[in-house]
Amino acid sequence: MIRILIIFFLTVGTIPQTDEDNEKVIARQGKVSFFSYTSVEDIKAENNQVLSVIDLDKKEIAVRMLMNAFIFEKALMREHFNESYLETDIYPEAVFEGKIMDFDSTIVGEQTRIVKGVFTMHGNSEELEIKTKILKEADNYIVSGVFETLVKDYNINIPPLLAGNIAKSISVEFRFEYEPYED
Amino acid sequence: MALVVINSSFSQDLLEILESETPKETQFIPATFKMTRIAIGHSTEVRAKGVLEVFAANRFWNLPVDRTQSFVADRMSTRFALEYAVSDDLTFGTGATTFDGLFDAHLKYRIPTKSNSNGLPFRVTLLQNFSYNSSAIANQDISDEFSDRTAFTTQLLLSKKVSKDFSFQLAPTYIHSTLGLQENDPNNFFAIGIGARYKLGGHLSLVSEYYHTFNEIESFETHSPFAIGANWELGDILLQFMLTNAVNMVEDRFITQTRNNFNFRNPNLNFGFNATYVFHFKNRLKEK
Repeated sequence: MIRILIIFFLTVGTIPQTDEDNEKVIARQGKVSFFSYTSVEDIKAENNQVLSVIDLDKKEIAVRMLMNAFIFEKALMREHFNESYLETDIYPEAVFEGKIMDFDSTIVGEQTRIVKGVFTMHGNSEELEIKTKILKEADNYIVSGVFETLVKDYNINIPPLLAGNIAKSISVEFRFEYEPYED
Repeated sequence: MALVVINSSFSQDLLEILESETPKETQFIPATFKMTRIAIGHSTEVRAKGVLEVFAANRFWNLPVDRTQSFVADRMSTRFALEYAVSDDLTFGTGATTFDGLFDAHLKYRIPTKSNSNGLPFRVTLLQNFSYNSSAIANQDISDEFSDRTAFTTQLLLSKKVSKDFSFQLAPTYIHSTLGLQENDPNNFFAIGIGARYKLGGHLSLVSEYYHTFNEIESFETHSPFAIGANWELGDILLQFMLTNAVNMVEDRFITQTRNNFNFRNPNLNFGFNATYVFHFKNRLKEK
């Protein structure tokens, strides 16, 4: 009887672990920063409250960030960014939905993969392919990378007088530290 | 093609998780007026800590004569000012005006609000202004010691961002002026200011401002100052263009002593041009 009970409990206890179809990891304080370098002015901004979830089984990744959480070197630039450029009262967030190509969630250590997906910001969706470094330590993953994206793809209005202050191509850097997600 | 397949099969639950995990509140409060002045008067805006504004306000007007030999305009007045944000909510500013010889200083304090959605329904800013009149006083009978040449303006600025494009401000004002121009002129004035901004585009907005004084000066005719203008933002440079009947640029003067009404006859109409250059002495990315 005891044996049966032990087997029963062992079986029940292992069920959640065998159900790996929906295993997800989440990063709550992901970092995204962007840089614009021109001869007139360097602009740098950081957002340390970016959310991201990876579905390890489906190899899918989603990122969501509030645009008004970007902090700039210059305080006034943050106001301009929100009010005049990104219009964050209409488009408060930016979202990335993508798939990690050939991702193997079981590889411990580092792997470099291409993430293909769609990035939506300021009402415009852009297809991106981003080379990404994925590092696995125990159950935690660190995903990081750099990519370039063009300002003109996002329908952002830049007055001609300030065209020299903002680079045509913006360099974006990201780093997410994931931990297992529990509902 | 492959991308389309990815998109259609993309699990909606990942986005739902992100939706549920996203914090509802952020520290950011969108700008109500962007500039620290609507046109002639102060707005509820203050600058973030470590910001120095170099401010030059100019008024140009013509004399009511048929022929003059002046280039561009017959008369001009300039107020130079420096305004420094001691903290995110407190600004100290000081300035001097060429035409009326006024030296002024002010403290401006914004009641802090954590976010836009909770707390006060209005943005509330307090302004205390002090001015010293350095110009010669013709009337020998008037006592003109230092203490007789000062004026104090206290303003409660209340603003509301009604929509993304439209902001509105009410400014109950109390002015104490020590210089009694005539026996029957009051030393204490009560006034109300009304101001608004309408955004025409990302960087350009239409502004207007009006002040009404309840107990006017009696020894000469005064009118309510009115201004209509455009504010143009160019990164670190903020420009304001306006038409106004107010010649003076310090609160106690233009609110109570604007002598001309707003119309297109000389010298009533002033063209105003304010330029602000914003210096940042604090890198917000380096604070932890």
